[in-house]
Amino acid sequence: MIAGDHGRIKNPNSCWTESRGFYLFYFIFVTVFHLILLSLPFITTSMAWTITNLAHNISHFYFLHIIKGTPWISTDEGKHIRETHWEQIDDGAQWSRQRKILFSIPIILFLLTSLYTKNNEMHFITNFISLIFVLLPKLPSFHHRRLFDINKY
Amino acid sequence: MLQTESTPYIFSELYNIIFQAPAYVLFLEFSLLLLVVWIIIHKQSNGEKSLSKEEREEIIRNWKPEPLVTEIDQNHPALVNNHIIDGTVGKYITVDGIKCLNMATHNYLGLEEYPKIKESAINCIQKYGVGSCGPRGFYGTVDVHLELEERLAKFMDQEEAVVYSYAFSTIASAIPAYSKRTDIIFADECVNFAIQKGIDASRSRVVYFKHNDMRDLEKKLIEQHKLDLKNPKKAAKTRRFLVAEGIYVNTGEMCPLRELVELRSKYKLRLFLDETVSFGTIGQHGRGITELLCVDKSEVDLISASLENAVESIGGFCVGSHFIVEHQRLSGLGYCFSASQPPFLTQAAISALDIFENEPKIFNQLNDTAEKVDEQFRYFSKLELRGHPISPVKHLYLKDIDDSDKCEKILRKIADECIKKGLAVAYSEYLPVEKFPPRRSLRITINRLLTEDDITNAFKILEEVSKSVV
Repeated sequence: MIAGDHGRIKNPNSCWTESRGFYLFYFIFVTVFHLILLSLPFITTSMAWTITNLAHNISHFYFLHIIKGTPWISTDEGKHIRETHWEQIDDGAQWSRQRKILFSIPIILFLLTSLYTKNNEMHFITNFISLIFVLLPKLPSFHHRRLFDINKY
Repeated sequence: MLQTESTPYIFSELYNIIFQAPAYVLFLEFSLLLLVVWIIIHKQSNGEKSLSKEEREEIIRNWKPEPLVTEIDQNHPALVNNHIIDGTVGKYITVDGIKCLNMATHNYLGLEEYPKIKESAINCIQKYGVGSCGPRGFYGTVDVHLELEERLAKFMDQEEAVVYSYAFSTIASAIPAYSKRTDIIFADECVNFAIQKGIDASRSRVVYFKHNDMRDLEKKLIEQHKLDLKNPKKAAKTRRFLVAEGIYVNTGEMCPLRELVELRSKYKLRLFLDETVSFGTIGQHGRGITELLCVDKSEVDLISASLENAVESIGGFCVGSHFIVEHQRLSGLGYCFSASQPPFLTQAAISALDIFENEPKIFNQLNDTAEKVDEQFRYFSKLELRGHPISPVKHLYLKDIDDSDKCEKILRKIADECIKKGLAVAYSEYLPVEKFPPRRSLRITINRLLTEDDITNAFKILEEVSKSVV
């Protein structure tokens, strides 16, 4: 509900992720999560990295590519009802700053994880598959496109 | 000491990790690294061509501003067909200085007979002033608004009511508050302009069915049902609405509510009923068409009505369950972003409701008068009466003439001549953007206070004028 706007307003569901504060929070959240895992004695370093990476990618996939619409009833008569959060970012403009950052983060995390798991085969395959799940739906050619009509309506 | 020993160790470890890894792993990692670099360098494409300086100046040079005010056609109907009305509008109305019997305005119940309403409104002005100076959610709520909502809910025997400050915006806000882009609305062809605008604003897909034709509606519902079977996933997320009017102001006909309710439960529709004309006019206690046809209140999801016709105040309201009403307090745009009803007009509506509750006989009187008019007005030689017998709004159409421009000219002339002879009837005006332009007609509204002599007199004038004009 945005009252008294004159002219174009940004989609309030996606514009909050533009702020630098959000990325600081993002970084701190992932780091703290990872440090907690590392501090548990029964989890090895490789395992901790893989768990961090998987948890990160699962939440990316869920929050950016599965949930659709906006959490409140907006005044735009349901313009974004069938759009995922990723598609709503910057009103669908491709390769914007926000998109670049969100696209790079899982890759960098994956490379770090591979390094710390010493390219162990099982770890590598698991992490790579999870990476594909978060990178593919971010590609411009998957904008507004649903494979096999999964999660379409 | 520690540093010098550990640094080479890290490098050798890195060296081991990289060169002991299989080739495909290194290849994938290296390409991902390149991808990140490419993403950072890649420029955002707007899909717009960048213009050179000359091209830009060319466009600016060629731009001509549109005039703020365009020239107005001097023969525009709004300029030509003007009438000046003096004094209060009641059973009689003074048009262009001629005292006429009023069959043109929507004050069906003749509430000017009750001076109590005016007194209470004046008292309210002395207490609150003339305006409420804000929307309901922004310092615009006065105790009379809350009282009116409570009273309306009680009167309509529903859980809650929400009052809007303007009748047009009531249903025009209520429809888009629920129906969204991905939904479907089934609506009658002859719904009034406010409903049409509400449907437009909702951006839903709309299916119009023929006026009061339940077979046509069912046919269209079955078509939709077949489409739904093909794509059940989509159908599960699509809401279906049915919009009808109690008495159609554009035709004077009553909607077959029982059939609508049956179809509602059969095809799982949400039924919105606009009682702009039927509230306060039909039914034993004036509760509208649900009372008249004994339809249970739970069968209609939302009822909206006007306070500008039978109640003779300003505004409109929606009644329904708690959920339905509370939703509109944040999503009904006409409720959120419009100043609330002036308190004195709200008080006038409350006083009118007092009369509705204390003297339910006025509704019977109105229905009797409407029936009497219906009996007499069937016998015009040049005009044809349409509308439900007890409807307070009826339409007179020209017999044997179909051309709408010709009809308009003749009917306007009849209306003007009638005013000269002391009878005010209205040519029914529509905007050119109307979805299905209704057939041109003279609109007759019935006042409770009309006597049999008045009706006979009106019949004579109309018959005489129509014979001479046609």
